[in-house]
Amino acid sequence: MPANQEAMDVVGDYKSGWHDPENSTIRFDFGLSEKVVREISALKDEPEWMTDIRVKAYRHFVERPMPTWGNTPMLGEIDFDNICYFLRSGEGTEDDWDDVPEDIRNTFDKLGIPEAEQKWLSGVTAQYESEAVYHSIREDLEEQGVIFLDMDSGLREHPEIVRDWFCSVVPLTDNKFAALNTAVWSGGSFIYVPKGVHVEMPVQAYFRINAKNMGQFERTLIIADEGSSIHYVEGCTAPTYSTDSLHSAVVELIALPGAHIRYSTVQNWSANVYNLVTKRGIAHENSKIEWVDGNIGSKLTMKYPSVILKGEGSHAEVISVAYSGEGQHQDAGAKIHHLASNTTSKILSKSISKNGGRGSYRGLVKVSPKAENCKLNVVCDALILDEGSRSDTYPTMEVANPTARCEHEASVSKVSDNQLFYLMSRGHSEEEALAMIVNGFFEPFTRELPMEYAVELNQLMALEMEGSIG
Amino acid sequence: MDPATEYQSLDEPGRSNHLWRYTPWRRVHPTGDVSGIPEMDSPVVGLIGFDGGPAPDGIRIQQGIVSDTIMPGSDALTGSFLRAVAADSSWTLSVESGFSSEHPVILDVDVGDSASVLHLCLDVGRLSELELVTRVRGSGEWFGMLRTGGVGDGSSLNDVVVSLLDKGTLLRVDSINVGRDAQVRAGTVSSGSDRTKADLRYRMAETGGNLRVLGSILSAGSMHLDHHVEIHHDAPETFSRLSWHSACDGDSRTIGTGMLRVADGSTGADASQLFHNLLLSEDAEADSIPELEVLEHEVVGCGHGTANGPIDEDQVFYLESRGLEPSEARGALIAAFLNSTLSEMGSESLHDWLVGLLNSELRELDA
Repeated sequence: MPANQEAMDVVGDYKSGWHDPENSTIRFDFGLSEKVVREISALKDEPEWMTDIRVKAYRHFVERPMPTWGNTPMLGEIDFDNICYFLRSGEGTEDDWDDVPEDIRNTFDKLGIPEAEQKWLSGVTAQYESEAVYHSIREDLEEQGVIFLDMDSGLREHPEIVRDWFCSVVPLTDNKFAALNTAVWSGGSFIYVPKGVHVEMPVQAYFRINAKNMGQFERTLIIADEGSSIHYVEGCTAPTYSTDSLHSAVVELIALPGAHIRYSTVQNWSANVYNLVTKRGIAHENSKIEWVDGNIGSKLTMKYPSVILKGEGSHAEVISVAYSGEGQHQDAGAKIHHLASNTTSKILSKSISKNGGRGSYRGLVKVSPKAENCKLNVVCDALILDEGSRSDTYPTMEVANPTARCEHEASVSKVSDNQLFYLMSRGHSEEEALAMIVNGFFEPFTRELPMEYAVELNQLMALEMEGSIG
Repeated sequence: MDPATEYQSLDEPGRSNHLWRYTPWRRVHPTGDVSGIPEMDSPVVGLIGFDGGPAPDGIRIQQGIVSDTIMPGSDALTGSFLRAVAADSSWTLSVESGFSSEHPVILDVDVGDSASVLHLCLDVGRLSELELVTRVRGSGEWFGMLRTGGVGDGSSLNDVVVSLLDKGTLLRVDSINVGRDAQVRAGTVSSGSDRTKADLRYRMAETGGNLRVLGSILSAGSMHLDHHVEIHHDAPETFSRLSWHSACDGDSRTIGTGMLRVADGSTGADASQLFHNLLLSEDAEADSIPELEVLEHEVVGCGHGTANGPIDEDQVFYLESRGLEPSEARGALIAAFLNSTLSEMGSESLHDWLVGLLNSELRELDA
């Protein structure tokens, strides 16, 4: 049997489920201890303050119990002792694509990363296992002072900025998985956009897990200075194995007065990856933070992109879609804290459950007593495509200011027979008609993505819908 | 396992459990010592006609529990606690099959001025029609009420619970089964007690059940009123609507949490829930968690919504321009807001009675 045959047998429709032979230069043993945490820090030659943060976070991770909410049976299956917490595959981060090791280059070639970079990106980071293997940014942006580095290089080259902002949005005690990430983080992106600079084309990071039982813990920090703007796009895939991997990222966004950050994700992990991610942004006066979040893959996703509206007149938007197939639970949502007056927010969540999958929206919207004249709107729509699938919504609204205007609505339904009939009467097969309806259902999300991502997502959904009828 | 043993075997619930997120069990336990099962008095319970005369034939209340069934999925902690403390204060309200009454019947519960508890079992026979108002009044520091039982097949029940407690804590747990093709309107009117924790659960385990759950909540001062409503669709062709209106004044806080659960196999289920909150003062707070769990795809529809907002100043201005004083205009708008659920709770005569009650509460609020 060919080396990849076993994996290919279980890949099914997941087209990124292949894996390459592992050629690691450094691989830690399975399991986590304070020694492992210190060794990761030492390997990266980090300043002492970062090692201290890591150790504190590790201790908090050990003390903190597992969450008692969400899909606790699935969470209970995570074996923290059977995960590799650091694996280095290259000799460092290259800025010339030809210098990236051939096997890794082939991986990203198959995923279309360099092609995308040439066509429509301002910069790219490609992370393979624990660290970035390739990184580039357009020269004109660099000249304007935009910093776009992998997080390890960011810490090395700009320790003063990282020290100021690291853990300022997601403290190490925030939750068990944020503590884990803070203890063993590696890779991710570090971005600083100077005052008034608009990065017109998106920058992209692509995360790939290749090894078995791997843990990927990237850490991303984006600071948009006054009046600047940036669109960051991330994509993720992993091979399909019979054992589980863990992806536990932390993303911190800081939008200073008048800045605009859009953070788009198309998460397409294989169905053996636990995706437990903490994403949060702080929006200062008149700034805007948008999370555009697509969850297609993974075994269990628990991800609730959040925005703290700290400055008056700031705005937050979360648009998320989730597809849950066989054995998958997409527990996704959004959290918005209105701390300042005249702040506005909008959440749109759409989910589809199929083949026994479970989609959950879990959200929190909070208006603090001092926040006058806030407006917020939450809409959740869910489609259940077949028997045995499930959809849940768990929205929480806490309103402590009488001037707030808050609306929430949600609906769970099946695909309308009338819509199917109409499309079939125009000559489409039932399968095509269903795929069109599903794509239409996701359209508010796909229209916010760069064109290439939107096309990719539509193709992905069409693939997922194959075999839905009959 | 007897209820006391069951209660003592349970852990104190944490705040990650939505049921206890805003009102920890320790705060509504009669003594705060959650390991204890204190002695409780019994309230004075009487069944009277709407005109103050005797209740009609075919409906009676008697001491003891005829059939004590707690619906699956109920909260074990409060259920076992209330059954344990109400061992000597259990009553059954029986309605004969085919019973029909033109006028509402009032179940008067006078809790007096001591801590007391009541376990009431509703045994509503088949094909009966009844409007029942459970009026809870008194000035005790703590009152617990557990209502279990069911509504027979094909029956129609308008079941309104009115809390007029002067002070103290009200712990209320409902666990009601709705029979085949039965129609139930379950209304809650709450403007009393300093603190209320209510966990109201209804189950439609037979085809054709039709349920409307309605809340009209008025909080003022430093009141803390926490209502959790759970509706289980466990059979095909079942229908439910939850509509909950809360008006909060002073530095009070209202909490409305709902759960609609549609089980696998409940084809044709049609369910929705709506929470509306009117915030009347700067320090008031209203929290809502309308949850949905849908495990069946062949549903008519499942939805929920929530809206919070202040009194519309344009409407106040309009009423003032018609000659109303500002406080009158405000009162009229609050009454209209709460009336939209009151008006759904039952017949015209019941509605008139409830509106009278609401107006007197609003006058007190104004004073």
